[in-house]
Amino acid sequence: MKKTNPSFLNGVPELLVLRLLPRREMYGYQIVEEIRTQTGETLSFGEGCIYPYLHYLEAEKQVSSQRREVEGRNRNYYKLTARGRKRLEALTTEWKRVTTGVSLLMEEQNA
Amino acid sequence: MPDFIEQLRRRLGELGCPRMQVRRLVQEVADHHEDLKQAALSEGLSEANAEAHANAQLGDPVALAEHLMVMLLRSSWWGRHSLIAFCLLPLLAVPVLWTLFLMLGLSLEFALGFGWDWKKLHVATDNPVAFHHLVLALHGADYVAIALVTLLFCWLARRSGVSLKWMVIACAICSLYASFVYARIWPHNFEVGITWTPQWIEAAIPLLIAGAIYAFRRRMMQRFQEKVAVKPPAPLREEWNLCRHPIANAKARLWTETGGL
Repeated sequence: MKKTNPSFLNGVPELLVLRLLPRREMYGYQIVEEIRTQTGETLSFGEGCIYPYLHYLEAEKQVSSQRREVEGRNRNYYKLTARGRKRLEALTTEWKRVTTGVSLLMEEQNA
Repeated sequence: MPDFIEQLRRRLGELGCPRMQVRRLVQEVADHHEDLKQAALSEGLSEANAEAHANAQLGDPVALAEHLMVMLLRSSWWGRHSLIAFCLLPLLAVPVLWTLFLMLGLSLEFALGFGWDWKKLHVATDNPVAFHHLVLALHGADYVAIALVTLLFCWLARRSGVSLKWMVIACAICSLYASFVYARIWPHNFEVGITWTPQWIEAAIPLLIAGAIYAFRRRMMQRFQEKVAVKPPAPLREEWNLCRHPIANAKARLWTETGGL
């Protein structure tokens, strides 16, 4: 239950989760682990805290879930929907715009 | 693990988390716990250490439940805008629903008694029986609208998992509205306004509904707590059963010893 992510990252968890799901269907633990490893442990979800977030994305119809048995374990697998894909495109564009702007400012400050 | 999950379930229930959400969250957190444990086992930890590691990773179940609840509230419009949702919307919903029901009642009455000719309204108001029906439709719409809006907002409060406070506030607002806003009908005259003489019957409807729902929720909460009360581990439970049912257990033992004869 770590709360280490700074407050200016509002909206980033949505981008991270949506970014992971087009590749394959994933369950909660897998998503948390992937975010941790792929961001070099810079960003992390608190253990167990991802579920209300996934439920919210499901309510928004950005992801869909299905309970399935894989290798003897029953888990809820989440996958991206068409709406989620559109949202991901919008968020990615927005993220690139913001980071470009911030980078420009930072470079100007350093120069 | 069972203790961890039971504590999580109990705290979520205490916080007013909707039952469907409790079931789903608990199931997924239990899966997550098992995944953490399996990961620890694969790293070479013993069963007990892996269990402790998984518990430590998930943290305090009470704190986790509270955090989950905060996130749930943040993820719903009703949770984020409780003030608008449970204070302002009831004030708008009552007149809208009241008008709707009044129109529905009047339409039905005219259709049955006078056909669809609205010009016959003056005929209806001159007729004592028809006028009595109009009065009934007006008061019926009043009572039904108030009761339905109260029930609707209680249901929304329960479904969105906001605290009981918001449900009570919505009921109190409905009650205040019903006590001071009135609608009266006379032959060839109809009046809607605000009165400083409280209308006790209308005002009592939301309060009665709130009281009934509060009592029901308390009862459900007690049942829920009894159901998820932390039970002693299996051997102790057996001893506890032995203490509780000495005669039944003696009979069972005798039955086993004598081979069922």
